Amino acid sequence: MSLILRKLARNNPRNIVTDAQILVLSCRKLSIVPSLYDGEQDPAPKFFSPNVQVLLKRLTRPDFNKVFRKRTNHGLNILKTPTYKFLTNEELEEEIAKANEKADRLLQMPPIVKIQKHIDDVLSKDPALVGYDTAKYIFTDITFGVANEHRFIVERDPDGVLRSCDHDVRKRLNQVYFPLHGRRLREPVMFADPEKFNSLLEREQYEFVLDRACVQYEPDEPSYQRVTSITYQHLDSNSKYELLRSTRHFGPLVFYLTWHKSMDNLMLELLQTGAVREAALLVALRQDLQGDVVNSEVAQGLVQQILPTPIQLKKPDRLTEEDIQIDTKCVECIEKYIVSNSAMKSQQELALQGFRENYQQLIELSRGLQKAHGNA
Amino acid sequence: MSLPPASGTGRYFAKAAKSIRLIRQGCTNRPFFHISVTHRRRINSQPVIEQLGSYDPMPNINNEKLVALNLERIKYWLGNGAHISTPVAELLGLSGFLPIHPRSYMTAWRNRRTERENLAKLEAEKAKETAST
Repeated sequence: MSLILRKLARNNPRNIVTDAQILVLSCRKLSIVPSLYDGEQDPAPKFFSPNVQVLLKRLTRPDFNKVFRKRTNHGLNILKTPTYKFLTNEELEEEIAKANEKADRLLQMPPIVKIQKHIDDVLSKDPALVGYDTAKYIFTDITFGVANEHRFIVERDPDGVLRSCDHDVRKRLNQVYFPLHGRRLREPVMFADPEKFNSLLEREQYEFVLDRACVQYEPDEPSYQRVTSITYQHLDSNSKYELLRSTRHFGPLVFYLTWHKSMDNLMLELLQTGAVREAALLVALRQDLQGDVVNSEVAQGLVQQILPTPIQLKKPDRLTEEDIQIDTKCVECIEKYIVSNSAMKSQQELALQGFRENYQQLIELSRGLQKAHGNA
Repeated sequence: MSLPPASGTGRYFAKAAKSIRLIRQGCTNRPFFHISVTHRRRINSQPVIEQLGSYDPMPNINNEKLVALNLERIKYWLGNGAHISTPVAELLGLSGFLPIHPRSYMTAWRNRRTERENLAKLEAEKAKETAST
C-alpha cells in the first residue's frame, strides 16, 4: 500500500504526500495484542470439566444444516445423489441418533491448554568431543508404535553436549519422519506474513484461519495461541459470532472471551438477538471460570432448567407457560449480572429493555391464542 | 519405483553372522545412507535383511545432520549377536545409546589439532607481514 502511495507521489508532484503520512498508512496493521494462556492458572482442568463442556456445546447452538454442509468436493470425483427412504419411527430415531453422534464428532472442540514450557534437559556433557563436527547431529527414535509426544529425539551439539530437543525441533522431526496430512514443514505464509494474515481477517475468513491453525500447530504452542487469540479478538470487535456458530471453534472462542473477562460484547449480541437463555448460560459459565458472579446459585439452578429444553435456532412464535417462567428467570439473572459485573451496562440494559417489550407482546399473543382455542 | 519394504527382501540364514552397517543409497555427489542389518559376508548392493534407520550426512538448512534409529529393532539384532560396523557404532555412541566410540574421540582430537595448526600458520604469516613492512 505504501509502495503505491509512493509511486503516486512520484508521478504526481501536485499530490503532495509527506513521508510521515506514508509511514502512518503503512503501519496501519493489526494493533491487536494477543493474550496467551500463559498465566499462573491452568485452563485445561476448567475446560475439560463436564459442566463447562456442556455449557460450551450448548452455546455453540449447532444447526445441522450448517454442521453437515458440503464444504469441498475434494476426493469425490462424482457427487453422490441423495437417497430418500421410507422409515418407521424406530428406524428414524436410530438415524437421528447416528446423525447426532456424527455431529458430536464434527463439533469436537480443539483443546485449550496451558502454553508449553521449554525443554532444557542436558543428558551428558563430553568436552572431548569438541571439534568432532561443525554440524549438529539429531537422533530420532523411529520405533514402531510410539506416540509423537513420547518419541526420543536428542541432539549432539558441536560442543559435545547431548540434550533433548526443544518443541520446535521435535515438531519438525516428527513431521519429517511421520508426516501429518495437511501440516507443512515450514510455517505457511498466511501465518508467517502479518499482511497476509491481516487480509484474511479483513475478509472474515475466520473459520478457514482457525481450521488451518488446528492442523498446522499443536494446541499448546505459542504460535497457535497467538493466531487464535488475534482471530478471536478481531471477530469479537466486529461482532461476527454468527460465522463461527455451529462450528467446533465457537466453544473455544467463548471460553477465551470469558477467561479474559471480555465477553460483554457477546452478551450484548445475545441480548440483541433475543437469546436470553444462552445469555443466562454465559453468566453460569462466567461463574464457573471466574467465580465473581453475585447470584451464582440462581444461575447454576437455571442451567439445570435450560439444558433439557430444545435448542432455539430462531425466535419462537408461540410460548408455553413453562417457557415464560424460564425466560423471566433468565431475564432477572441477567439484570443482576448487568448491574454487578458488566462493562457495557447502558447498552446491555437497552438491549434487555427491547427484548422485554418484544417478549411482552409475544406473551400476550400466545395467551390470547390459547384463550381463543378455549385452552386457558 | 516403489521402495523395498523396511523388513527387507534379502535371504535370511539364522546361523550366519549378521552386521549392522551403513548402506549407501544416494546418487552421485549426494550421499544418503540406510542403517541396515545384513549378513556379514554379503556385499552392500545385495538385498538386506532389515532396514533399521537412516543417516543423512549432508547438513540441512539448519546445519543439522539427521539420523533415524529404530532402537527397538537395533536392540533385537544386537541381542541376536549382530556385529556393528564402525561408522554405525560411532553414530550410536553419539546418540547416547552406546558408549562413545574411540574413533569419535580420535577424529575430534585430530580436528582440533589441525585447527590449532592452521591458526598457528595464520599467525606466523601475519607476523612475517608486519616484520617485512
